[in-house]
Amino acid sequence: MQNGHNMQPILEARNLTKHFTAGNALSKQVVRAVENASLQLYPGRVTALVGESGSGKSTIARMLVRMYEPTSGELIYHGRNCLLEKGRRELLSYRSQVQMIFQDPFSSLNPVRRVRDVLERPLHIHGKARRGKVREQIYELLHRVSLTPVEEFADKYPHQLSGGQRQRVAIARALAVEPKVILADEPVSMLDVSIRMGILNLMAKLRDDEGIAFLYVTHDIASARYFADETLVMYAGRIVEGSTSEELIQDPKHPYTQLLLSSVPDPAKGLRTGAARADKGEVPDLAAVGNGCPFAPRCPHVMDICRQAMPPVTPLNDDRWVRCYLYEPVPEAVAARN
Amino acid sequence: MTTQTVERARAYDTTRALLKVSNLEVEYWTRRGVVRAVDGVSFEIYPNEVFGLAGESGCGKSTIAHAITRLLKPPAYIVGGEATFDGADILRMDEDKLRGFRWEHIAIVFQSAMNSLNPVLSIREQITDVIQMHRQVSKKEATERARELLQVVGIDPSRINSYPHQLSGGMRQRVVIAIALALNPELIIMDEPTTALDVVVQKQIIDEIRELKERFGFSILFITHDLSLLVEFSDRIGIMYAGEIIETAPSREVFTNPKHPYTQRLMNSFPTISGPRQALLGIPGSPPDLITPPTGCRFHPRCPVMIQGLCPQVHPELMAVSASHRAACHLVAEEAADYAKRA
Ligand SMILES: Nc1ncnc2c1ncn2[C@@H]1O[C@H](COP(=O)(O)OP(=O)(O)OP(=O)(O)O)[C@@H](O)[C@H]1O
Ligand SMILES: Nc1ncnc2c1ncn2[C@@H]1O[C@H](COP(=O)(O)OP(=O)(O)OP(=O)(O)O)[C@@H](O)[C@H]1O
Ligand code: SF4
Ligand SMILES: [Mg+2]
Ligand SMILES: [Mg+2]
Repeated sequence: MQNGHNMQPILEARNLTKHFTAGNALSKQVVRAVENASLQLYPGRVTALVGESGSGKSTIARMLVRMYEPTSGELIYHGRNCLLEKGRRELLSYRSQVQMIFQDPFSSLNPVRRVRDVLERPLHIHGKARRGKVREQIYELLHRVSLTPVEEFADKYPHQLSGGQRQRVAIARALAVEPKVILADEPVSMLDVSIRMGILNLMAKLRDDEGIAFLYVTHDIASARYFADETLVMYAGRIVEGSTSEELIQDPKHPYTQLLLSSVPDPAKGLRTGAARADKGEVPDLAAVGNGCPFAPRCPHVMDICRQAMPPVTPLNDDRWVRCYLYEPVPEAVAARN
Repeated sequence: MTTQTVERARAYDTTRALLKVSNLEVEYWTRRGVVRAVDGVSFEIYPNEVFGLAGESGCGKSTIAHAITRLLKPPAYIVGGEATFDGADILRMDEDKLRGFRWEHIAIVFQSAMNSLNPVLSIREQITDVIQMHRQVSKKEATERARELLQVVGIDPSRINSYPHQLSGGMRQRVVIAIALALNPELIIMDEPTTALDVVVQKQIIDEIRELKERFGFSILFITHDLSLLVEFSDRIGIMYAGEIIETAPSREVFTNPKHPYTQRLMNSFPTISGPRQALLGIPGSPPDLITPPTGCRFHPRCPVMIQGLCPQVHPELMAVSASHRAACHLVAEEAADYAKRA
């Protein structure tokens, strides 16, 4: 919620909320996919969003790229609340600054288009094509994502590429519009272990050399430690903890983050003893989450107050915060009652 | 024989292996050509052991699992090699014998198993079906056993009449494991048993499998992409590349002292949550097409330490560098020769 590096965020979400309605006319259910999510993305920094399946990570990314209209909240780009700018032109201009990369490199590319056509399209749509220079622009993009020899790759179809190469094409396509922000939703989870690092290292280079701001959505917290400067942890639609990545992994504060980290297999540590063995809790039902802390039903430290209201944001230092009553100074009134 | 050689002979006493696979060859006969998915694979699994198998997508892991349970269907054909289970020849068993053999001796938990449950049958029916197919027991006894099994895998037996869609992914995966345990098999093959699950649920299930293994004493062939999990859970590991096993060793050793350049790069391809935060490179290039695999060492086009004039031409065999560690790389030839002299 604040930062120790004194930069202005380029993209900021303030209390973004997304509710979906599920079911039919007879039994309508509201799925509270994301509840009051706030985050900031900074130029030249990677922010990771980690959490279990269904916790709302992709929904946040899709609101940030304006694929989903938030139920409420603000989206501030360069200091302007861009949700108010709903015209086609404004949306197009927004999308040329904020690009998304998806998990599945196999379905995100049109199978009948050659790589050169895949890359040429966004250049035209977003008015980035320079007359007589399009071919060079395409080669330059391929070069930036290390698909060399560039002439050869430009003529290939997606099915002639490996998974890692396709994801590079997807990144090149995102780069074509010269974005300031890239939202990468599980960009390496479908790829083989041996080629994942190549993609993460490529994105790290774009961050360092070109100052692009990244949101890195993943369920792999070890890769967040590797790639992200800052990590946010989601649980059941809420962001429950935010910290520099290394501090988060060395010293997780939120009970869910602690459970998550104690569950990650770790070959360097040897056989784990069943520290998290007690947890048999089920993944929460987003339609049934009450008003309290969403982790309360599974939390080993749960207190009465946890079930009553969502814990507020407690800053721990300049770089980290947590939403958990364990870290909330006890209000005097409550202390007096006990 | 001195005592020392007896010791060594015992560690390698293949007659004690529960499962022994030698020179297995499997091909898919496709329109594009012959895919040699498994090419001369040998390994053995000992009683009570977790043997892990890892390698890039498409390197042949699932094909091995299907071959040793005789579940391959055309266009897949076993074209060579042997596989014995407790001395019995699996590859030559007739259908009748196979039916008794599967589930009773070897059970399988398939890749995306949680979706392999029949959606229109209750959990009770699915478990009792397997039991009654193999054992002369009444419906009541089978149901009793089904309840017991659910308890064993940490599902409240009162859920026995649930249908798959009423259970979470983790619970469905536990049901599949319960079915695999139903007839007390000696070997359970688990092909990516937890890949689709969140790590917290994955840990619950892996801990459970570990406990069950201690309690009932079975062996596991554990197949996964997740190298952290593989190293943590397996006793011994086989690393595959393009249809071949290119290294086998105790799992600690695969992590701390890998011999094959592919294994070395692979172990340096994934970040961990402890240990130093260091630059990781991954492996350049991509896995080969198995219709026209590279000559010589199949890894040579991607290998950073490839020897010109040797690796592209000469295929390296698996060589022992210690009693429990083998690797197929020309660079270990000297070490292997040393070991052979000592042994
Ligand atoms: N278009 C939609 N309509 C209805 N519900 C939706 C929609 N998109 C997402 N949801 C629901 O919102 C919740 C959050 O989903 P989301 O895809 O954001 O999770 P996630 O954290 O990205 O999960 P994963 O790790 O599995 O990708 C889920 O319960 C999901 O079922
Ligand atoms: N039905 C089939 N027809 C033709 N080729 C096949 C068929 N099934 C598998 N193959 C090929 O056989 C090879 C081995 O496949 P297999 O499924 O055993 O790989 P795997 O190691 O289990 O991969 P993954 O990690 O993706 O599950 C692959 O190259 C694949 O393309
Ligand atoms: S707020 Fe309460 S229930 Fe939630 S994590 Fe903290 S202690 Fe546990
Ligand atoms: Mg998602
Ligand atoms: Mg497989």
